Amino acid sequence: MQLTLPPGLSPQGFDAAVKALQGAVGPGWVMTTDEDRDAYADIYAPGPETLWGASGAVAPQTVEEVQAIVRIANEHKLPLWTVARGKNLGYGTAAPRMPGSMVLDLGRMDKILELDPTLGYCVIEPGVGFMDLYERIQRDKLPLMMSVPGNGWGSVLGNALDHGIGYTPYGVHAKNLCGLEVVLGNGDLVRTGLGAMEKNQAWHLFPFGYGPTWDHMFSQSNLGVVTKAGMWIMPEPETSLELTYDIPNADDIGWVIDTLAPLKIKGIVEQSIFIPSWLGKMVIKGQRKDFWDKPGAIPEWRVQELLKEHKLGYWQVALRLYGNEGIVKAQAEVVKAAFKPHLDTPPHEKWWHQGDPTNVMDTTLGVPSAVPLQMGDWVGGKSAHMGFSPVVPATGKHVLDQMHRSRKIIDAHDVDFYASFTIGGRFCNNVNMLMYDRDKPEDVDRIKKLFNALIADAAANGYAEYRTHLGWMDAISNTFNFQDHAMRRMTEKVKDALDPNGILSPGKNGIWPSAYAAQRGKNLA
Amino acid sequence: MSRVQALGVTLALVAALAVAGCKVSDTDNQAAAQGGPPAGGPPPPPPHQMRAQMAQGDRLNSTMEGKDLFSNRCGACHLDWGMGTNLLTKQQVAQGKPPSMGLLANRDDLTADYVKSVVRMGKGAMPRQTRVDITDSELAKVAAFLGKGK
Repeated sequence: MQLTLPPGLSPQGFDAAVKALQGAVGPGWVMTTDEDRDAYADIYAPGPETLWGASGAVAPQTVEEVQAIVRIANEHKLPLWTVARGKNLGYGTAAPRMPGSMVLDLGRMDKILELDPTLGYCVIEPGVGFMDLYERIQRDKLPLMMSVPGNGWGSVLGNALDHGIGYTPYGVHAKNLCGLEVVLGNGDLVRTGLGAMEKNQAWHLFPFGYGPTWDHMFSQSNLGVVTKAGMWIMPEPETSLELTYDIPNADDIGWVIDTLAPLKIKGIVEQSIFIPSWLGKMVIKGQRKDFWDKPGAIPEWRVQELLKEHKLGYWQVALRLYGNEGIVKAQAEVVKAAFKPHLDTPPHEKWWHQGDPTNVMDTTLGVPSAVPLQMGDWVGGKSAHMGFSPVVPATGKHVLDQMHRSRKIIDAHDVDFYASFTIGGRFCNNVNMLMYDRDKPEDVDRIKKLFNALIADAAANGYAEYRTHLGWMDAISNTFNFQDHAMRRMTEKVKDALDPNGILSPGKNGIWPSAYAAQRGKNLA
Repeated sequence: MSRVQALGVTLALVAALAVAGCKVSDTDNQAAAQGGPPAGGPPPPPPHQMRAQMAQGDRLNSTMEGKDLFSNRCGACHLDWGMGTNLLTKQQVAQGKPPSMGLLANRDDLTADYVKSVVRMGKGAMPRQTRVDITDSELAKVAAFLGKGK
């Protein structure tokens, strides 16, 4: 990819900044060739990759190097785009919101600084991947069980900071963060919570500070660069029991949510409960063309045939309980009694006991894997995906309302309906997967139109997305419109105060510093 | 959550690969050894295969072995039951080759230059790898390790 300069920076100014960065981290860790720019592009980009093209990347190894980079960026007015490991697939990968930004790649900061099995927490740097942490726990034989997302290739901190979710009782990953170390836009180093006290012994254990607590101002944020953080990890349970139910019909999701959400809220089921539709199981059985070789959405009669042929329900609940055997047995009885009035077929039951082997696909037992990314093969070609992911209250009424409206819009755009609901507490994350072949411009166009229609419809009915791709960051930010976007105005005031030159990740989640305010609304998908 | 939906994928993939008769390597399958699958059912997937650890030192002038670098830097997808291995196994079987050829380390038709090109340029589902993912020095060793085709 050719070099795009950041707004306002001359070629000469850019060269001077690059030379200064080389002095700070060594020439080998400043990457500005055309090939480097390609490597940092969004491989799933819905449109040309140049819309979100980086000017290069710089990779520090220490917090002092991060501070030096931030000072250089201020001096030369070089905007940075921070990534942990840059594996944010479906949301922009490692690519920046504003073209010409230099990616601040923290992948080399990969130290596991503390790992405490007694209190169940770790202190890690942003470059630590799920597999790195998992393998360390296995090698040291520690009685800890991680929560992992669908993409186990990514960063533990990056995922939590972007509000990623997994499938164990610790599945709402941002809630596990406790005590962050952050470089601010002026190069200052701060520690949140009790870490604001020198040598505090409990800063990764107590979730508050003295006075206002700032941890989450640095999640989905461009207000600082997180250089390390505490994360809580679940003690490995004595046993775990998986109960699998196939749910026959699409509208059954209403009673499924009304059955499971109260159990989740009461604490009888502790995990984040993932409920995928049938297509979630078909996508890795083969390619779409093996089952339906015509353009447009698979018609309903063919869907019903496929469910019969492959013995699938429309939904599958693979619920998992964790804990001491007696408690798990008692929890299972409550779950089974709750399902009985709706479903005659008892669940398939599978026990796991501490010391039993796990396999590569045991995501709900905390084994990280990248295999779920295989779903891209479904559409073939240069396959990619995005998700339309509104957050809805965990009641059948809200879930059915959202599903019926979004399904109508998806059907009208002639796209396959591929939904899932994850009950994370009093809410569900409803992820609607939109898959497309990047080599087919008409596919990309259709998906973009569909995505815009879904966002507008959800917002009109009081539902917001929890996370989105670079190309829609401004659009989603616009839907947070209480008092004419009062929250965005507040955050942008904070942004300007902490980062007057606006050099940290301008445009992230719709937060634009004054220095780049003219870029708002540009380079949309 | 990552868009990728792990749980729904799991059972179907187990079934799909089992039906295809795809045992991708001869790695000991502890799950099978300790109890085994139900009679007539598909074999369970293997345990997570641990990657080699990275040595301390200058990654721009790596002193590690190509085999270990491959395991660590490429192992997230290219060891037993990795995403890359699963997709390549399907492709290799479709070409009449044994499923074990889905593992890059078993291939004898790769050249060092081809490996370097795919790593930097990407191919199919394989994303382009940055020089933080794998440095040029590390890639040269991995390419030499995999490039048995000469």
